Amino acid sequence: MYIIEVNSGFRKKVVISPVEEADFKILSNKRYFFEWGVLKQTSSVFKLLIEGEDDILGVMALIDYPEEKRIEIKLLANSIDNQGKNKKYDRIAGCMIAFACRLSKAKYRGYACVSLVPKTELIQYYIRKYHMVNAGWQLYLEGEQLNNILKEYLI
Amino acid sequence: MNYKKLRKKYTPEELAEGFVFPVKLTAKQQKEAAKQLAEARKKTQQEMTDQDRLISGLWQFRFQLEDYLESKEYNPDLTFGHFLKRYVELLDKKRKTFAEEISIDETLLSQLINMHRLPPDYVAIRLEIHSNNMIPAAYWIRLVEKQRLHEIETDKEMRKKERPFVHGKLTVSLS
Repeated sequence: MYIIEVNSGFRKKVVISPVEEADFKILSNKRYFFEWGVLKQTSSVFKLLIEGEDDILGVMALIDYPEEKRIEIKLLANSIDNQGKNKKYDRIAGCMIAFACRLSKAKYRGYACVSLVPKTELIQYYIRKYHMVNAGWQLYLEGEQLNNILKEYLI
Repeated sequence: MNYKKLRKKYTPEELAEGFVFPVKLTAKQQKEAAKQLAEARKKTQQEMTDQDRLISGLWQFRFQLEDYLESKEYNPDLTFGHFLKRYVELLDKKRKTFAEEISIDETLLSQLINMHRLPPDYVAIRLEIHSNNMIPAAYWIRLVEKQRLHEIETDKEMRKKERPFVHGKLTVSLS
């Protein structure tokens, strides 16, 4: 899995792992937009880093619903320096979404599903960027669409 | 962080590339959302082809193999033979047919599955080619190495047996 440095076009290998207790002190509202500590009771929180480095570039909170064979992306944010037109790296959110797909696929095989509840005005952009399917209140990836995200980000 | 503030700073496209925001639904909306998703997924499942299912199975196989190789734990059940057996079953092929497809004798395939023989390198390469590169040869070799490493680290009997063959042992130590 890799992200791309926008200025140079260089690829950087990334790792995604569970957020550790000490990380929650680093995950400030100012740089990562949300109170991530609040989520640790109800979700599994993951961080994305460049391999061998310790700066957290993205954070994501997931909830697993085993009875539905589905993982929901509850919250996701790139760090502030990786937002908007001046972002340093590209593909951060895509890698995190693919990671959620990987978790779901490893557990639920052909039934694997990743969903999110979008802000209404962002629906078309998630569909365009990640080929998500519109199910009304929720967007989801399953079957061929989910397999394609794995192929695009994990190979 | 307030969405309205972010909306002033970033375009909707940029927001979708950098965030998934928390969205609160009422109990009624949640119920409706669950129903909608269940119906949509039912349709997706019905439209899934045999090829989609096979690809899903291969992804799952690859991820479970990767997770085991990355973990520090050693599981005596998760051998090369175990994964090879699962691979053949996943393809829903008879062992004879599969052995023919990778040009090995069916007896050798059985020996590999039952761990009566360690796999030669060419078998790992043929498995990689057979899977259309979805399962790299290195994964198969690392499986064997993981097992060998565990054996060499824990084999007390071998250490006892080899001790008489070592002379002039160092008297200094690192600990």
